[in-house]
Amino acid sequence: MADINFFPLFLSLKVAMTATFFSIIVGLPTAYFLSRSDHRAADFVDTVLTLPVVFPPTVLGYYLLVLLGRQSWIGKFLEEQFDIMIVFTPVGAIVAASVVSIPFLIKSARAAFSGIDSDILNAAKLLGRSEINIFFSICIPLAWRGIAAGIIMSFARAFGDFGATLMVAGSIPDQTLTMPIAIYDSMLAGKTELTNKLVMIMTGTAAIFLFLLNRFEKRITKGGR
Amino acid sequence: MLEVKVKKKFGNFMLESSFQAESEILGVLGPSGSGKSLTLRCISGLQTPDEGKIVIDGVTVFDSRNKIDVAPGRRNIGLVFQNYALFPHLTVEKNIGFGLKDFDPKTKERLVSEMVEKVHLNGYENHYPVHLSGGQQQRVALARTLITKPKLLLLDEPFSALDKHIKGLLEQDLIQIIRDSYKGTVLLVTHNAEEAYRLCNRILIFSKGKTIQIDNKEVVINYPTSLDAARITGCKNFLNAELIKEDESFVTLKSEYLLFQAQKPNVVLPAKLTAGIRAHHMQLSSQPVTEINNFSCKIIEFIEGIFSITVYVNCSGHIMQVEVSKENAKQLLEFDREKTFLYIPPERIFLLPQEDN
Repeated sequence: MADINFFPLFLSLKVAMTATFFSIIVGLPTAYFLSRSDHRAADFVDTVLTLPVVFPPTVLGYYLLVLLGRQSWIGKFLEEQFDIMIVFTPVGAIVAASVVSIPFLIKSARAAFSGIDSDILNAAKLLGRSEINIFFSICIPLAWRGIAAGIIMSFARAFGDFGATLMVAGSIPDQTLTMPIAIYDSMLAGKTELTNKLVMIMTGTAAIFLFLLNRFEKRITKGGR
Repeated sequence: MLEVKVKKKFGNFMLESSFQAESEILGVLGPSGSGKSLTLRCISGLQTPDEGKIVIDGVTVFDSRNKIDVAPGRRNIGLVFQNYALFPHLTVEKNIGFGLKDFDPKTKERLVSEMVEKVHLNGYENHYPVHLSGGQQQRVALARTLITKPKLLLLDEPFSALDKHIKGLLEQDLIQIIRDSYKGTVLLVTHNAEEAYRLCNRILIFSKGKTIQIDNKEVVINYPTSLDAARITGCKNFLNAELIKEDESFVTLKSEYLLFQAQKPNVVLPAKLTAGIRAHHMQLSSQPVTEINNFSCKIIEFIEGIFSITVYVNCSGHIMQVEVSKENAKQLLEFDREKTFLYIPPERIFLLPQEDN
C-alpha cells in the first residue's frame, strides 16, 4: 500500500463532511419553511433547489463557474474582501459537493416535516413555546427519521461527486484531487492495479460511513414510534 | 369571562360568531362544519378573524379596529384538541410539563406530579402516548393545559375519538376533574345535543357559521328560536301551520291536514308558523285520551333501537316520528295499525316563525 497517496481519500471525506454540514445548516431551515408554507413561492424555491438533481454535472459545474468564478460579481467580492478563491480550490470542491447534495436533504426533510400533525405544533405554540424552540423540541425529533435519511443521502452524494467537482475545483494533485477523480485519472493512466485498490478503498469507506450513519439514526429515534 | 364578536370569511363560508360566557361550562353545539372549531381557533389565536373583537377576563386579545392581535402563546388559553395532539416523542410527564416555563426543576417536578395525581395517571409517568388508552391520552392533554393555569379552557369535541361504551364513564370523569381543578370559563364543543345537555349549564348553538341561540340548556331544548336550532337539538317533527285563533292561554293552528292547539308563547306570533314537536313528547294510544290534539293515524313502520322504538305514523298525510320506550311499545303491537291515535301535548309544541326552504 506504500505507493498509494491517501490525500484524495482524506480530501473527499473532508469535502463530503463539510458539505453535509452546510447542507444541514442551510437545508433544514429551508425544508422547514417549505413544509410550513403553501405559498406558490415555496414551490418555486423547491423547484430551483431540485434542479441540481436533474442537471448533468457539467451543466451545474458550468453554472457554478459562471456564478462564482474570478470574473463574477460574487467571485470578485470574495477575493477582494476576504481573499477567498473558490475556483480550483478545495473550497470550490465543497461548494460543488454542497450544491449537488443539498436537494436530497431538503426533499427528505421537507416530506418528514410535512408529515407532522399541525395540531401538535399548534399545541406547542399555545403552550407558549417560540417557533425556534418548537423547531428544536418538536419538529426535529418528530421528523428525525426523514432528516437522518436525508443526511445519509446527501453525504453519499457529496462523497461520490465527480462532474461538478471536476468543473469547479479541477483535479490538481494534492490540492483539489478528490477520490472519484483520482480513480478516473489512474484508470486513464492505465494503472489497473492502483485503480482496483482505490476502488476497493472507496467502496469500503462508503460502506463504513453508511453503516455508522444508519446506527446513528436508529440510536436517536425513540418514543416507541 | 369571555366576549367574542368576530367575522371570518373562508371561500363561500362565512363565520359570524358572537356570544359571551361567564365562569361556566358552556356547550357549543352545532353540526360539523358549522364554525364551532373555527371559533375556538379564532379565540386561541391559531386563526386570525377578518374583523371583530375578543376579550378574555377584561383583556382584549384581538381587536381588528385597534390592530390588537396577541400571539397564541401569550393568550394563556388551554385548548384540548380533538385528536389530543400529544407530543409522541415525549413521556406523559414531559408532555404534562411542556408548558411550564420559568420554574426551577424542583418546583416543576412537584407541579407535574401533582397534576399527574389529579388526572389519575400515577404509574404512567414514563409511558409514551402511543402506549396509553384513548381516555388516558385525553387526560394527558387536559393535564398539559390545566398545569399552565389557563384563563380559558377550550375542549374541541373531546369525546368524539372515543368508543361509545367507555364514553359515558370518561365524560363524567373528565367533567369532575375540570370542576375540581378549574374555575374559569370552559367551552365544550360537540355535535351531540345529549352530550351538551348532560355536561353543560348553558348551550350555544351554531348553524352555517353563525351563532343562532345561547341560553340555559332547558330553554334551548324546550324553546328553540329557529328551525335550525330545533333540528340541531334533535327535533324530528315539524308542521307548517297557519294561526287561526288566539285564546288566553292557547292558540289554534291549522296545518295542511290537521287542526290543533298549542300553548300560547309570550311573544307576538306571525300568521305563518312552524310547529315543532319532539318525537318522545308524543303519545300513541288505541283510543282518544283527551278532547284536543288527538288524531287518528296509521302506523307505517317500527324501527327498533336499543332502549326505545321509533314509530313512523301517517297522520292524515303528515308523516310523524314518535319515540316510544320499549315497555310501552309492547302494547303498541296489539293496536290496530290502521287506526291508532296520536296525542300531541299542547304544552310540548313550540312555535317558530315560518322560514322559506
